[in-house]
Amino acid sequence: MAETPNHYETLYVTRPDLKEEDLAKIQQKLLDSISSNEGEVIKADKWAERELAYEVQDHKRGIYYILVFKALPEASKEVEKHLHFYNTDILRFMTLKITEEAANKNKGQQEEKTQKTETAAAAPPQSEPEPTPPAVSAEETVAETATEVPIATEEGGAQ
Amino acid sequence: MDSRRDKRFFSKKKVCRFCAEPIDMDYKNIDLLSRFITDRKKIVPRRNSGLCAYHQRQLATTIKRARYMAFLPYTVLH
Repeated sequence: MAETPNHYETLYVTRPDLKEEDLAKIQQKLLDSISSNEGEVIKADKWAERELAYEVQDHKRGIYYILVFKALPEASKEVEKHLHFYNTDILRFMTLKITEEAANKNKGQQEEKTQKTETAAAAPPQSEPEPTPPAVSAEETVAETATEVPIATEEGGAQ
Repeated sequence: MDSRRDKRFFSKKKVCRFCAEPIDMDYKNIDLLSRFITDRKKIVPRRNSGLCAYHQRQLATTIKRARYMAFLPYTVLH
């Protein structure tokens, strides 16, 4: 039976003191490994730079990168191999198989964003400068989904 | 209403939040997950979270993923 391509989501955290070019180099390496395995990249973004919940290799902050792609399992293995190779620069990484729906949601966001940047580029001085990095939009969606009734978690905990 | 008040042990039936409203449980959704951890950063048990078994299992996995990616702490002692 021929293997069918899956959708994957890879999130990786790099050291905060890396230069832009190094970050771009790592990302490019991953993208190359996907395309060389006949995969399709759906989203490749800098997700956020944020404080880590605990120190990892003595680093308190990290830069999160997200990569959504559709490929055969071999391609995802290849990606993980590269992430292992940069283990001094990459603090943490995780690849998850995701549903097609979830992957396509990213596709829509990506298109919207490119449109936005295009319109911003068309009329840069008049329109408000839009400092909307991916981190902001991601956090917004987080806030939206989490506005429901707060659960009193400690209600019975003290008994 | 009055008949309810008469019953001494009336309690509101808990409905699983994630069943009632389909929310994507994502390990990147830190605001949502942090509601299901205690002050000591433990995962809230099912009797307190009010989730169904299926979603509680999902939640536990998701929180553990978030911990690994340093979104959430494992303990308060870090």
